[in-house]
Amino acid sequence: MAVFDTPEEAFGVLRPVCVQLTKTQTVENVEHLQTRLQAVSDSALQELQQYILFPLRFTLKTPGPKRERLIQSVVECLTFVLSSTCVKEQELLQELFSELSACLYSPSSQKPAAVSEELKLAVIQGLSTLMHSAYGDIILTFYEPSILPRLGFAISLLLGLAEQEKSKQIKIAALKCLQVLLLQCDCQDHPRSLDELEQKQLGDLFASFLPGISTALTRVITGDFKQGHSIVVSSLKIFYKTVSFIMADEQLKRISKVQAKPAVEHRVAELMVHREADWVKNTGDKLTILIKKIIDCVSVHPHWKVRLELVELVEDLLLKCSQSLVECAGPLLKALVGLVNDESSEVQAQCNKVLRHFADQRVVVGSKALADILSESLHSLATSLPRLMNSQDDQGKFSTLSLLLGYLKLLGPKINFVLNSLAHLQRLSKALIQVLELDVADIKIVEERRWNSDDLNASPKTSATQPWNHIQRRYFHFFTDERIFMLLRQVCQLLGYYGNLYLLVDHFMELYRQSVVYRKQAAMILNELVTGAAGLEVENLHEKHIKTNPEELREIVTSILEEYTSQENWYLVTYLETEEMGEELMMEHPGLQAITSGEHTCQVTSFLAFSKPSPTICSMNSNIWQICIQLEGIGQFAYALGKDFCLLLMSVLYPVMEKAGDQTLLISQVATSTMMNICHACGYNSLQHLINQNSDYLVNGISLNLRHLSLHPHTPKVLEVMLRNSDANLLPLVADVVQDVLATLDQFYDKRAASFVSVLHALMAALAQWFPDTGNLGHLQEQSLGEEGSHLNQRPATLEKSTTTAEDIEQFLLNYLKEKDVADGNVSDFDNEEEEQSVFPKVDENDTHPDVEPPLPLQIQIAMDVMERCIHLLSDKNLQIRLKGKLEHFLI
Amino acid sequence: MAAPCPPPPPDPQFVLRGTQSPVHALHFWEGAQAQGHPVLFSGQGRDLKLCLWDLAEGRNAVVDSVRLESVGFCRSSILAGGQPRWMLAVPGKGGDEVQILEMPSKTSVCALKPKADAKLGMPMCLRLWQADCNPRPLLLAGYEDGSVALWDVSEQKVCSHIACHEEPVMDLDFDSQKARGISGSAGKALAVWSLDGQQALQVRGTHELTNPGIAEITIRPDRKILATAGWDHRIRVFHWRTMQPLAVLAFHSAAVQCVAFAADGLLAAGSKDQRISLWSLYPRA
Repeated sequence: MAVFDTPEEAFGVLRPVCVQLTKTQTVENVEHLQTRLQAVSDSALQELQQYILFPLRFTLKTPGPKRERLIQSVVECLTFVLSSTCVKEQELLQELFSELSACLYSPSSQKPAAVSEELKLAVIQGLSTLMHSAYGDIILTFYEPSILPRLGFAISLLLGLAEQEKSKQIKIAALKCLQVLLLQCDCQDHPRSLDELEQKQLGDLFASFLPGISTALTRVITGDFKQGHSIVVSSLKIFYKTVSFIMADEQLKRISKVQAKPAVEHRVAELMVHREADWVKNTGDKLTILIKKIIDCVSVHPHWKVRLELVELVEDLLLKCSQSLVECAGPLLKALVGLVNDESSEVQAQCNKVLRHFADQRVVVGSKALADILSESLHSLATSLPRLMNSQDDQGKFSTLSLLLGYLKLLGPKINFVLNSLAHLQRLSKALIQVLELDVADIKIVEERRWNSDDLNASPKTSATQPWNHIQRRYFHFFTDERIFMLLRQVCQLLGYYGNLYLLVDHFMELYRQSVVYRKQAAMILNELVTGAAGLEVENLHEKHIKTNPEELREIVTSILEEYTSQENWYLVTYLETEEMGEELMMEHPGLQAITSGEHTCQVTSFLAFSKPSPTICSMNSNIWQICIQLEGIGQFAYALGKDFCLLLMSVLYPVMEKAGDQTLLISQVATSTMMNICHACGYNSLQHLINQNSDYLVNGISLNLRHLSLHPHTPKVLEVMLRNSDANLLPLVADVVQDVLATLDQFYDKRAASFVSVLHALMAALAQWFPDTGNLGHLQEQSLGEEGSHLNQRPATLEKSTTTAEDIEQFLLNYLKEKDVADGNVSDFDNEEEEQSVFPKVDENDTHPDVEPPLPLQIQIAMDVMERCIHLLSDKNLQIRLKGKLEHFLI
Repeated sequence: MAAPCPPPPPDPQFVLRGTQSPVHALHFWEGAQAQGHPVLFSGQGRDLKLCLWDLAEGRNAVVDSVRLESVGFCRSSILAGGQPRWMLAVPGKGGDEVQILEMPSKTSVCALKPKADAKLGMPMCLRLWQADCNPRPLLLAGYEDGSVALWDVSEQKVCSHIACHEEPVMDLDFDSQKARGISGSAGKALAVWSLDGQQALQVRGTHELTNPGIAEITIRPDRKILATAGWDHRIRVFHWRTMQPLAVLAFHSAAVQCVAFAADGLLAAGSKDQRISLWSLYPRA
């Protein structure tokens, strides 16, 4: 709404007001002037700048007491003029600067004059506007040594205001103004960057204020949290910008040894600082104290923006002052590293960005000093880690571990320097092992049973997205916070990623073997080491780091797996064997004792449940967890190796399936999810697919282990799991192994009948499912089976019969057996006669050898073999077996 | 009870299943070294044919077949030695003849017919070989009457003949370096015999077995041990020089019909129970 565009017009309007103001200095006259000014265009105002400023400055300069209100309105008016115009003369700038600063000068004390808050604010804004209105290079000529006293006064004034004022508005304004004075203003008006010489000159000048600025700001920063985060954020910003400007390595390295004689009067020259080595050293030491104070205070600041600013501080100081503030590097990095796992995602992201930046710039790896400092910090952290893990609360543990994680991230491959020191590796591992100790008092884990009727597929499915990451919730002795566990996992993964995997695996395997007390923790750590080594989840800050090669990784995994699935670590007592196997065990002891004695006491006790006190709930719980951890480990290894894991399936799948058939619910669940992981890793689309594709290996294992049943009492379970999770394609192989099973059963009728009966039960159930009564055999591939398919239609008839009562079936079977004997033991003859004549007389039509009777379909042959065995079990003295035996007949 | 239990009996390294019929013959084919003949000779079937099979993985095609003139238990024997032409010995007509064929042309070289009064019975097993110093091919044949005869193929005459078993000779193997051979029969004994400079066979000793019936005898390529396939479902391993029994491998549930050694020491045994068991004779400690 500029009404008066030309200077002439404006002059006409403004002149009377200015004259009036010069004559009588009142608030009204000032306001009058300001009202008029509003109607004048900027260009006109620029022309008349000096003219208009005169009465205002005159008012300020008039000696004698003045009313605050008047000064305030004059300053505001001045500010208004300056905001619309440029100051083009250096002299004017200096004078206005002094005059404005003087408004808050109280001759009596060091502190800012006791004036109203409004006036303070007006002056601060005035100063700020003045500096912004300085035209072009004027601003630089302003910063000459002669201004030092006046600038120093203004700065201390502003610092005083920022520190001591109650009003938040003033504080912020003061800090803003300080930024402007120190040329840190981030507004658009200062786009020009300074050249080296200018930087040096400014640095020399500002160096005089460094002690004052840094101490005062530190007081502000470390003040009450309640003062509001924006004040702390601005203070932090000014602090680090000032420090990094004055202490910049770039500038300092160009400082000559001898101070050039400044062309100023002696008094001012005394104020000047020469930034030579001693000064840098002293200042650095003092700043270190302040910076440590700031870090201690700010890193736990409740507001995330403050912590974010701390990240900026660290970045700026580390990038610019790594030489001059070498003492600070440790604490600064520690602060940064500690914020890597900040609860605020912004802080985390920024931290990661900065870390990545450091890594890219080779700040850490390239510059010896920083890398050394990090190594030292990691050394000392490793040393104190066991103690810290012991004494700290969850929050403390969290920050300590965050710190550890950060060091590992930053040091990358260089962590091996630390790991290669046996003492440090031991301390590190001791701390990890200690903190990962599980709480094994929960009785439920031991109690919960998987019932035979459960299909594996009915157990909870793992999430499809990150199946490997799904692990059972566990309870730790020394912490409850789930985040700590996540941190520990990350720590181990990073160790695996950057560390010497052979060394680490060796070390933790040693611990694993050393004592049952360490075993579970060591296994958890090993699992994560391998996952980390595969480098699938680790964000790599060190581009040049080469991952462990897959070949080596597979070798390592193979050796771990061997240990995991070895007799003494895989077959642990997880339930009271008296439940069903008591008698059998008693009889088998002699042999077992000889084999296991001396090896591992825990395992011997598992078998010698009678000669030694039975295992406690705790030890069983612990065993369950150990098995679960090992199972999860297998899943993780599969994830880590991907397709490469297929090569290990031959040795691994069998033990895992053994556990999938375990009675304990937890073990069975974990084993099932491990199998799912294996499916994912090896590219099988379902458990069934996995089992079918590997059935030859499994069957081989079953058959061989059946030969030594006393050593491998869980063998039938594997077959059971296979049967429950597969389809008719398995039949030919199953038929083969069922013969072994039955032969073994014949040997162990008295001892292990129960476990066999349950596998036979599973077999019958599977047969019934694979060959449904409807005779729908479309899925059968085998010619022989397809040919015989029509036989299946006789099954409904049998079923009808058998659904009556167990006695009926029994009777039927007894008759059948009697007749069989009569028929000279030729089962197929008998059956074929009966069935083919009564039901399907035409079955032989396309047979090329009419004289040779077709063999029974495989499944029926198997079923008959099974029934033949079960009939004997019906009179077993153990009720459980009797019941199971009958159950089977029902199924048939 | 007090005495420590012996370690459990050894298990096969692996068991191959799914043949769905009894296994009669096994042979390790070191494909990489011997590119010459990617073929396998199947035992002669009741169809009077000897088949040559293509051995490339996944194949089951018959490449060629040789018409036979008799049905018996006898396995044929080949003498290849890397030349393009090689020699095949098969049981010939008349029940007691051995026919020598030149392959791959399948032309009959000669028929080795024992003297009319010898009454050797059918040839049960054949082994063609060639002494290092002497290029003339020789044939060792075990006969139904329990005797072993050494034939000079080019002169078509029996060099030497010994009776070493009371039952038919089921198989024999010969170590041409030590000039010693071993034969097994349907009876309970193994016979070790040697060949002297005058090409005369001499019985060196016999070894009694617990159960009668040997289906195949194979000396390992390094000539240190030998293995027998027994009708008693067991594989027996002996020290070749001393004939000391080393191991009895029990796994099969029916008669073992063939044993074979791989170059790396792996032992394979095929049985009537339709399984092939693989054994590592020097398992890791």
